[in-house]
This record gives sequence, structure tokens and C-alpha cells, in this order.
Amino acid sequence: MIPTPEISWIAVAPDLALALGAALILLVDVQWKPPARVLGWVVGVALAVAAGFSVLQWFQAGDAIAAGDNESLIAFSGLIIVDGFAVFARLALLVATALGVTAGWRFVVGLGRRGAEALALVLLATAGFSLMVASNNLIMLFLGLEVGSIALYVLAGLARERPESDEAAIKYFLLGSFASAVFVYGVALIYAGTRHFEILEIRSYLGDFIVTSPAVIYVGIGLVIAGLGFKVSAAPFHSWAPDVYQGAPAGLVGYMASVAKVAGFAAIVRVLLTAFEDLDATWLPVVAGISALSMLVGAFLALVQGDVRRMLAYSGVAHAGFIMTGVVGGSTDGVLVYLAVYAVQLVGAFAVVAVVSGPDGGRSGIDEYRGLARRSPLLAASFAILLLGMGGLPLTSGFIAKFGVFTQAWASGFEWLVILAVVASVVALAFYIRVIVVMYMDDPGDAAEVSVGPAGWVLAVAVAATILWGIFPTSLLDLAADALPL
Amino acid sequence: MLTALILLPVVGALVVALVPSRRREVHLPLGIALSVIPLAVAGYLFWVFEPAAGFQHVERAVWYEPWGINWYLGVDGISLPMVVLTALLVPIALGASTTITNRTKEFVVYTLFLEAGMIGAFLALDLFLFFVFFEAILVPMYFIIGIWGGERRIYAAVKFFLYTAFGSALMLAAIIALAYNHNAQFGFTSFALNDLMNLDLSPGAEGWLFTAFAIAFAIKVPLFPFHTWLPDAHVEAPTAGSVLLAAVLLKLGTYGLLRFNLSLFPETSVDAVPIMAVLAVVGILYGAVVAIVQPDLKKLVAYSSVSHLGFIVLGTFALTSGGLQGAVIQNLNHGLTTGALFLLVGMIYDRRHTKKIADFGGLQKVMPVFAGFFLFMTFASIGLPGLNGFVGEFLVLIGSYPTLPTFAILAAGGVVLAAIYLLWAYERVFTGVPDKEENSILTDLSAREIGLLAPLAALIVVIGLYPAVVLDKITPSTEAVLDHIEEQTDFVIPEPGRIADVVVVGDAE
Repeated sequence: MIPTPEISWIAVAPDLALALGAALILLVDVQWKPPARVLGWVVGVALAVAAGFSVLQWFQAGDAIAAGDNESLIAFSGLIIVDGFAVFARLALLVATALGVTAGWRFVVGLGRRGAEALALVLLATAGFSLMVASNNLIMLFLGLEVGSIALYVLAGLARERPESDEAAIKYFLLGSFASAVFVYGVALIYAGTRHFEILEIRSYLGDFIVTSPAVIYVGIGLVIAGLGFKVSAAPFHSWAPDVYQGAPAGLVGYMASVAKVAGFAAIVRVLLTAFEDLDATWLPVVAGISALSMLVGAFLALVQGDVRRMLAYSGVAHAGFIMTGVVGGSTDGVLVYLAVYAVQLVGAFAVVAVVSGPDGGRSGIDEYRGLARRSPLLAASFAILLLGMGGLPLTSGFIAKFGVFTQAWASGFEWLVILAVVASVVALAFYIRVIVVMYMDDPGDAAEVSVGPAGWVLAVAVAATILWGIFPTSLLDLAADALPL
Repeated sequence: MLTALILLPVVGALVVALVPSRRREVHLPLGIALSVIPLAVAGYLFWVFEPAAGFQHVERAVWYEPWGINWYLGVDGISLPMVVLTALLVPIALGASTTITNRTKEFVVYTLFLEAGMIGAFLALDLFLFFVFFEAILVPMYFIIGIWGGERRIYAAVKFFLYTAFGSALMLAAIIALAYNHNAQFGFTSFALNDLMNLDLSPGAEGWLFTAFAIAFAIKVPLFPFHTWLPDAHVEAPTAGSVLLAAVLLKLGTYGLLRFNLSLFPETSVDAVPIMAVLAVVGILYGAVVAIVQPDLKKLVAYSSVSHLGFIVLGTFALTSGGLQGAVIQNLNHGLTTGALFLLVGMIYDRRHTKKIADFGGLQKVMPVFAGFFLFMTFASIGLPGLNGFVGEFLVLIGSYPTLPTFAILAAGGVVLAAIYLLWAYERVFTGVPDKEENSILTDLSAREIGLLAPLAALIVVIGLYPAVVLDKITPSTEAVLDHIEEQTDFVIPEPGRIADVVVVGDAE
């Protein structure tokens, strides 16, 4: 009899909950055509169940590591790993999803019958990324990546009445598939060089053996970095981001951007800092170079954008560069903190964009924000706080996040990168305050007050997180410090 | 008590923010009333301050243990005058803001947040905490200039913000480097000033760290050639913004040089004396010369600030007792006199809606009280004996003579130039006959306006006649800075650079 691998349901319970939620939505929608509110509840329950199991896994991981029983965290014959790192990243994904769906609720309702598709796709994307952050196997990681990415391509094209949305979907799909192909080719080369797909196995292989012809592995690492760099929109793999951010449905861009970033960086950390930690002399210069390039390209190109969505896209490129300083510094917890902080701010910022863009989602030029502080003071104040937070001003969580990764990079000897990073941060501040100028210091003219709707909840959470984590960072930092990958 | 001093304005800001926007008439008086509370606390602090005790009222709480950051506050003779000055000027600046009629609530809220940030920056003894306040101040000031400023307010606000943010970004890198070095040498990360003062840095590292700090503070002061943001910011800012900018915000630069550069990098400070002295003297003379030709009264006062702050930097890097005392007391003096001058310019602008010197003439016949105050502040700014400016500039000049004789002589030229630009401006604005019709119908100062200026004038006289009231509190702290430099370096302060030198002579008689 062929032994079946032991199945640890609890290890995949969060992902299952999300996937079942997606399936349920599609089935229920076909059969009963319930109002969107009901489907919203299904999403909420799926997310809550996934979060509940994640919390359970968090404590299990803590106990297992305390007991020195690392093996118990690896499930499905080495495909899945539920260490603190995976759980933290997944919780960030779940929070971003919950906030993102709330922010995009109007859009979902506006889709009418197709709203169910949007919700199912969101849950599928989150399920895929959730698997991705918990992968201990490069093929598993690729599967998660593809499940998530393909759902995102479709989401980008959901606003069909706007041609930009089609453009975004096609661009995202073509370039994204290409990046996935590059990634999977890299995985193949890594396998050729190490004869392993499993991340922990690769690490021990590289630790135990001296690789005589490492070129294959090096190329493999390079291709994997390129593929994942695309997903997190790091320069020079960022060219899709502005068009997709601009064209995709306003309500869901925040969600799409933040989950892709969280999952992508979690994968980068796991591949580089765990699997290839012994080869860091090879990839450190490459990642540092990508980091520097992303910061400069993102910050300077964001300066000249006249469209807030494109501006946020380029700022996302810069943020990818900032987060990479944490990878360079070998700081898994610094990266996690940055991801959590940035994901929340990004979803919040796009919630504002969605509200201002109006029902068809087309109005995202900077002029639409003129005098917003007079028309909708709370909305403008929230956006200002979120922008300053992304800019990394002290007393916001953005500063804590930046400080964490910069100090680690400094301690690892990448002083030049940190100096570049602080300078890029100032350039980044310049375009954030440009939006604030328009909101606060320009006359509103005859533009009308905008109504916020459910996005108000997202803003309340995002602003509270930005300020509270900025002043009392201890809980977040401690949590991230416990969330070490195996 | 120090924490309360920082939190009181924050609480005040929140209280004002909770008052509904339509109750317009409430915001400003409420804000003034709430800002008097920190003033009372600051006054009490001044009263109970023990000069010989070094840092006192120290409060220390762990902020985040693994990073080694602390909520670490303390006050000494160098920060005390600045804290009192800040607490004093905020109610006055608010009191001078009755002309701000749109979005008053926001204005009061930003001003109170600004106060909290400024006081926090002066009290912080942890460099992380200092940086937080130093940078956080930018936001409310940016809004104050950008929303309530003049025509080119947005340009001025953005320039102000980016200039200073750029400077502090480099300082952040330097702070990270210091903490990292502390970890390497002592095994734990610390941002506390007194820990970092014990660091043993290589000359090269000390050199560039000094530079990073010095650039951040030089931009803030501003020292020539980093001064170009200042005239724009001043001219466009509303009166309250100008007052707080000149009187307090700029002092963060001079305070930072004295507090951080001298104490953290004594070796490089000694080496950098010639460069800093050149920049200071260039600033003194350049600011003064440019001030002479300004057609705009507010710009004139702004450039006079560049000149006066040069004195403070010169005194700081004279590395003598007199120089440091002069620098600290001049920090306070400049805040009082220039704050008052900006108030006066604001008062005439409110009436006449112009700041062009050429638009005025013969005002002393129409507004005798206003002219009197203006002349008084002019004298204080020039350094007329008996008023406060004299004490500070005299101390700086005699303090810098032993170490930097040439620079002291050149700087003395700045005093003469100050007399030229201020008195000439006075002459053009106030003397002669009021030949323009708009000027002859102006009303003199109201009781409210006199009430704003009177406390400043009183302090100017008190410090001018009996400087010991402040100097006694300052001196032990400035001496401690010099002691630290002499301990850490081979530098020997030439006689009679130290107070001790002078006292011995006095005792012998």
C-alpha cells in the first residue's frame, strides 16, 4: 500500500476557509441571487474564520518553537510551513482584504450581478497569497502566486465600462504572466543546481555542501528575484504599476496593491533570507541595487505625476525600495512591520481615492482634490495623515517602519543605501505634501462635497493604526519580533 | 512636570478641536486661555530651577526596549530659557492673530501642536525623541504658512518644509550611526545624549557625523548659504507664524549646534571652529547688508534675523564662557526682540495691508505709541546698553575675542550695520510728515496690542538691566559643556576665555 502523506488540516485551514468562501459565494449567487449584503457577510465570515485559525496557528507555532519541535510546523510533506512569519504575513493579508473589500464596497454593489464575481475573486486572490506566504516549497509558492495573480488580473479588468480598465487588465496579465514564467524558470534552475524545491532543504543543502558550479544557482536566484520583484513593483520591473493602478477599479486598487506587496515580499524574504542565506554575498548587491533604483525611480517619477493614482503607484515603487533595505539588512521583522504598516496605509489612501474618483472611478487627477479640506474636512484630514504616514514623518507608523529597516540595513554595513534612503524619503515627502497643498491650500471652487460611505470605516481604522502605531509601536514590533521564519 | 509641559498644549489642541467649527468666536480666546497654562508651568519651572544641578526634573520611561529608545526629558540652563520663551510667545502670537478669521479653529490647533513640538524638542535628551519632535514641528508650521500666509504662501511653505526635511534626513542617518556605534562599543543600543557623549568615535566618523548634524542645524538657523528659505517663509507667513518661526523655530538650530554638536563631537567641533566662524561672520555681515536694501519691512526683519543668529553661532563656536553664555542669552533675546518686531510689522500690516517701506512715512505723528514701541524694539535689536540685545552681543564679542579675535572685530561691524538698517528703516517709516492720505487716518495701537507688546518690553528691560536673573541659571550649564570639551580634547581654552580666569583676577583685587 502506498503511504498517504499525513494531512494536517489545521495547517491549511485558513486557506481552505477562504477558498470555500469563494466557492460558496459563486454557488449561492447562481442559485439564489441574494443581495450583495449577504455575500458581504460570507466574505466577512470567511475572513474571520481564516483569521481565527491563523491566531490558533500563531500560538501553536510559538509553543512548538518553545519546545524545540520545529518539525511540527511543516505540513503536507514539506509543502507548507506555518511558522510565525507565515501567520503574521497572512494576518496582514486578511486585514488588508477586510479593509479593501469595505473600501471597495460601493464598487462591488455598483457591479450589480457581477458583484459576486468580484467578491469571489478577492477571496481567491487572498487564498492564493495566503498559501504563498506559508509555502516551504518553490512550486507551492508558484502555485499560490499564480492563484493570487490570476485573480488580480481579472479584478483589474472588472470596471469594463472604462477602457483604461481593459488596458490595465491586459497589461497586468501579459507582463504578469511573463514575470511568472521568469520566476518558474528560476525555480527550475535552482532545482537544477541544488536538487531541491523545498526552501528549508535548499538551505541545509547549501549549508552542508560547497557548490562547485554555482552559476546555475546564481542565474536561478536572479530570475526568482526578477519574478518576485515584478509582483512587488520594484524597479526596474515596475512599468506595469502606474497603468494598472490607474485603470483598475478604484475601490479595489488598494486591496490589489497591498496584498501583492505583502505576499511578494514575504516570498522574497523566505527565498532569499532562508533558502539562500548562505549565498548572501551573491544576491545582496543585486537586491541593494534594486532597492536603490526603486527608491530613486519611484520617488522622482512620483514627483511629476499629475494623477494621484499614478503618483501612488510610483510611491509604491519607492516603498518597494524602502522595504528592500530591510531585506538587505536581513531583518525579517523589520520587513513584516513595514508591510503591515504600509498595507493598511495603502488601502486607506486608495479608499480616499475611490471616494474622490466618483462612481465611474475616472476622476483621479490631482485637480479633483482641490480644496478637499473645505468640502470634506474629515476625508482630507485622513488622507493627509495617511500621506504623511507613508512619507515617514515621526509620530506616524511610517516612521517606525522606516526606522526599523534603515537601522538594520545600517548595522549590516549598507550605510550608503541608508543615506540614499533617507534622501529618497524627503523626495517622497515632496509629492505627498503636494497633494496636501492641493487639499488644504487651494480653493475648492464649485466642486461639491463628496460622500464617504463605508470607506469611512476603513479610514478610521487606517488613521488610528497610523497614529497609534506611530506613538505606541511596542505591540506591533514585539509581535513582529516573534514572527521569525524557521 | 516636563511631560505635562509637552502634553498640556496637546490637550489644549484637542479641546479646541472638539469645539464645533461654527462657534467661531470661541476658538481663539479658548486657545489663548489654554496656552497660558503651559506658560504658568514654565514660569514655575524657571522659578524652581537649580542652576548648579545640571539636568533636572529628569523623566525617563522606556519607549521601546529593543531599540533602546526612551521618553527621556530633562531641562538645564541651556534649554530652560528656550522653554520659557516658547511658552511665553505662544499666547502672545495667538493674541496677535485676531485678524485670522477663516478656519480659526484649525489655526489654533496647529499653533498648540507646534508649541508641544517645540517644547518637546528643547526638553528631549534622547536623540530619537529629539528627532521626532524636530521633524514633527514641520507639519503644523507648514500648514500655518501654507493656509494663512500671503500670496506666495504655497511656494514658501513647500520650500520651508523640504529644506528642513532634507537637513533632518541626514541627521537621522547620523543618529542611526551613533546608536549603532554605541551598540558596537557598549553592547546595547542607546539614543540617550549622556550615553552617546561617551562614545569613542574615529576622527573620520566624527567628522561626517558632525557634518550631518551641522547641516541639519545650519539649515534651521539658517546659516549662510542655507538661508534662502527663510525670507520666503517669513514674508509669506502670518504674523503668529513669523513670530514663532523667528523666535523659537530658528533657535532649534542654534540650540542643536550647542547641545548636540559641541557635546557629541567635541574633537571635530574644535577643528570646525574656523569654518563655523567664517559662516557665522559671513551670515552676520551678509544678512545685515542685504537687510539694508530691503524695500519690505518684514523681509528686512527676516534678514536681520540671519545677521543676529550669526552672532549666536559665533558665540557658540568661540568655545569660551562668554561666548556660550552670550549664545544662550542671545537665543532668548533675539526671540523677544525679533518676535516683537514681527508683531509690530504684523500690526501695521493689519491696518495698512502693505509692508513696503516706501508706502509709509511720518507714522510717528499718527501712531505715536506704535512708533515708540518700534523704536524701543529697534534699540533692543541694535544692542543699546541697558536693553537685552547689548548683553548678548557684548558677551558674544568679548567671548569670541580670546579665541577668534579677527572674527570678533568683523562681527562688531555687524552691530554697526544693524544700527544702519534698523534706524534707516525707522526714519523712512516713522519720521517726516505723513504725506500719504492712507497713512494719516491710521489708528494707534489698541489696548490689546499694547498688552501683547508690554510683557516683551518689560523682559527686554529686565534682562538688559539685570542679566544675572537669566545668566545665573545659564552659566553652570554652559560651563559644563566647556568642561566636557576640555576633558575630551587637547584643546585648551586660552585665557581669559573661562569665567574662572576672570574671577581669579577679581578676587585678587
